[in-house]
Amino acid sequence: MDRSLPPEDPPDERAVTEDLEPGGPDYDVQLESLSQWQIAWKRFLRHRAALIGSVMFFGMVLIAIVGPFILQYDYYKIPVPDVHVNAGRPPSLAHLFGETGRLQWDVLTLVVNGVRYSLLIGVIASAMGAVIGTIVGGVAGYFGGWTDTILMRIVDALLALPLLFVILVFTKFLGSGNWISVTVIFGLFEWLGIARLVRAVMLSLREEDYVDAARAAGIRDRRIIFRHLIPNALSPIIVSTTLGVAGVIIGEAFISFLGFGVGFDTPTLGNILAGSLGFISQGNWWWAFFPGMAIVVIVLGINFMGDGLRDALDPRAKI
Amino acid sequence: MTDALVAPERRAGVGDVLLDVRDLRTYFHVMDGTVKAVDGVSFSVRRGGRLALVGESGCGKSVTALSIMRLIETPPGEFAGGQILFEGNDLLKMDNKRIRKVRGGEIAMIFQEPMTSLNPVMTVGDQIMEAVLIHQGVNKKGAQEIALSALQDVGVADPRRRLKQYPHELSGGMRQRIMIAMALSCNPKLIIADEPTTALDVTIQRQILELIKSIQERTGAALLLITHDLGVVAETVDDVAVMYAGRVVESGTVEEVLLNPRMPYTRGLLESIPSQGKRGQRLSAIKGTVPNPFRLPPGCKFGPRCPYAWDSCVEAEPELIQLGHDRTARCWLNDPRFAARRAAYDESFAREHP
Repeated sequence: MDRSLPPEDPPDERAVTEDLEPGGPDYDVQLESLSQWQIAWKRFLRHRAALIGSVMFFGMVLIAIVGPFILQYDYYKIPVPDVHVNAGRPPSLAHLFGETGRLQWDVLTLVVNGVRYSLLIGVIASAMGAVIGTIVGGVAGYFGGWTDTILMRIVDALLALPLLFVILVFTKFLGSGNWISVTVIFGLFEWLGIARLVRAVMLSLREEDYVDAARAAGIRDRRIIFRHLIPNALSPIIVSTTLGVAGVIIGEAFISFLGFGVGFDTPTLGNILAGSLGFISQGNWWWAFFPGMAIVVIVLGINFMGDGLRDALDPRAKI
Repeated sequence: MTDALVAPERRAGVGDVLLDVRDLRTYFHVMDGTVKAVDGVSFSVRRGGRLALVGESGCGKSVTALSIMRLIETPPGEFAGGQILFEGNDLLKMDNKRIRKVRGGEIAMIFQEPMTSLNPVMTVGDQIMEAVLIHQGVNKKGAQEIALSALQDVGVADPRRRLKQYPHELSGGMRQRIMIAMALSCNPKLIIADEPTTALDVTIQRQILELIKSIQERTGAALLLITHDLGVVAETVDDVAVMYAGRVVESGTVEEVLLNPRMPYTRGLLESIPSQGKRGQRLSAIKGTVPNPFRLPPGCKFGPRCPYAWDSCVEAEPELIQLGHDRTARCWLNDPRFAARRAAYDESFAREHP
């Protein structure tokens, strides 16, 4: 029997030749520079809507971070109202977005601070949802059987509730007004969709050969779920979490507008809009328009970005 | 018969029984009923020994391997009976913690599909080191050293660079080498290779087989090879067990089974191998198909496809008849009562295989 491959001295040439593809020796080198994420990043950069969306969203993030420091007025210093113009002032050079009625806040100051907290609430709640949803969905999908049935029935039951009303009730009992508790409440309801999504992905991933290979290597289930499978399910999780930020921002704006959300001591786009309610009929359009536009820009930006991410992270899509 | 029961001479380095599968029954309860994928399989592998499980698709050989690793999901699967003794301990009775120590640490498995058996989002190094970190009690640096030397052992050039690569950057043959490196990195006592070359090019197949064999010889690990390719069997192992419809139908040393098959199924498999000598002739094939697992025929499960079958084969299923030391066949032809039929069978075999 001729031994074409003695183990003592590994024949280097053979191993190298075996790797060569029609592209020639450079092929391998070229491949090395393109990981899964690099390919996705390239695709994302070529996606026009995604780029515009990113500019919109990250522009707002930038404003939220640095805005309060460079603004002329401080949100937490209550202005001394000028009694003669109790109804507010339209945009002017001194107040680009105008002034509100009653207390004569600078609307720009309100919007910038509102964007800051709205984004904070959206990002934190959505991230919380992503973590809980990934854990629950991952465990349900991987183990299947009774674990899956019980967890998914809980999700079904929670999804069957009219969410906004539940949140209204929750915020009323668990400290309405505090932005942190509002964030936590949104986070506690944000995971349902992601859990379903992750479970569905896990159901197909757990049938992969590398799961059997990992189990055959003695790796414990917890590690298989979180080290082997979740990274493979990351694309839909990222897309869903991104879009979730927009959902939470709108949801928060909605309940704050109704007066059940974040109190006026913490500005959010929702409660700024709520404040404008009584003054729109007096022609104070700027008080509602600018925070409203801020919501539109953020949500549109996130949705464009989410679309772009979905395309960029889809390994089957070719751009 | 007594002189036939003398143990055949064994290759140096082969010791006592390491893995003893006794009357293993693995059933699957599915919508349409129960599939008895493995129904009373027994065989044993010695320390440093090499055994092949051979059979067609669906004969239960992969399920046997997965049962040994306890990778059968229960439900729908069920271990309906039998024992799998590994160093005297029943793997089927171990709790999850102990079986995890056995998996990867004591028994390693090489899978059929190198293209899908590696996680696409983890680097090769992380995947090899993962098992080493669990079983070897070393730190990350030590694990990397072990991974590097394992890659060198399987003939991977520039292992330091390979550690950082992702599976999609490697060819099929290279990935199978990585899988073998993973298997050997924890110094297992038994390597189960489930059709390790089926998914590879013919040229790479040979390299990989030689690699598995040389590693097996050097490390002294036992090898359980699962394959449908008798050519592979002849080159790689010492002993062979032929499976059909969830049962072992013939077993013995490679020479005995391949040169003197005592069960028509084995003979059919042998005769369906293309070879130089048969050039220009019509390749013979076993008639019919593997029986439906829900409706197994009465008597011998191979009976309906067997060219030598007669009434007895329908009336009762033959036992695994002991023909010598570690030599068995499940066929009525080996029963002394049917010596005349046996003679005819032998004559036709001698005629066709001079």
